[in-house]
Amino acid sequence: MGDLLSTMASSVSGMSAQAARLRLVSENIANADTPGYRRKLVPFEQIVDGAGAVRTGAVHLDTSSLERVYEPSHPMAGPDGYYESSNVNLMIEIADAREAQRSYEANLRMFDQARQMTSSLLELLRR
Amino acid sequence: MKFDIGILQMAQNLAVHASARQSVIAQNIANADTPGYKARDMATFADSFRETAYMRASSSPVRAGHIALGTERSGGDIFESAEFGAESPNGNTVSLEDQLVRAADVKYQHDLALGIYSKSMNILRTGMGRIR
Repeated sequence: MGDLLSTMASSVSGMSAQAARLRLVSENIANADTPGYRRKLVPFEQIVDGAGAVRTGAVHLDTSSLERVYEPSHPMAGPDGYYESSNVNLMIEIADAREAQRSYEANLRMFDQARQMTSSLLELLRR
Repeated sequence: MKFDIGILQMAQNLAVHASARQSVIAQNIANADTPGYKARDMATFADSFRETAYMRASSSPVRAGHIALGTERSGGDIFESAEFGAESPNGNTVSLEDQLVRAADVKYQHDLALGIYSKSMNILRTGMGRIR
């Protein structure tokens, strides 16, 4: 029983980490056209002392250069007609979201399996 | 109360081994995107059982934490292994497909153990003159 419960704890930590990642992806996509926005990234860290669970570290910003867009009529455009847009690449964000979804589903599958195993274990008591 | 019946104990140990191994697999899946994480696994029940039986036959002491017919706790050895699949650029060696196949295997073993346990109990009850 203890192992099954720690299975569920690991899966839950995985799901919450993937959900946090997915939230940042959606924030990035929402701000894809915000001038001066830098995409947010979150690292995954293994919790060593616990049951091998995972957690998200501190959110940091992507320091790669912002995309320069030529649009002289833009309110933030400089004297040369360029303004700095965000450094969000939609293709990367979509791929990241798909990967997060895949990992989330795998964690959910493991959680469901542990739950089934627990209930079939408890079924032994019913007869 | 502890029944000293071989098949019940073996079924119990198989169930314990399956849930312990499932816990390791769940950790692998939770860390499927953690940079530098190495996939881990436990020896299969058959392997550790065979090894223990061999050790018993050669009358050497059973290694601690190993699965034996009579031991209470059967944790098994957790080992790191890089042979599961290609390593991704961030140093992670977890392959989700591989882990899900292992999880299905573990589920099958757990169901098998519980099935054997309940059927054996049914036989015992029948032997005691009560049907179900």
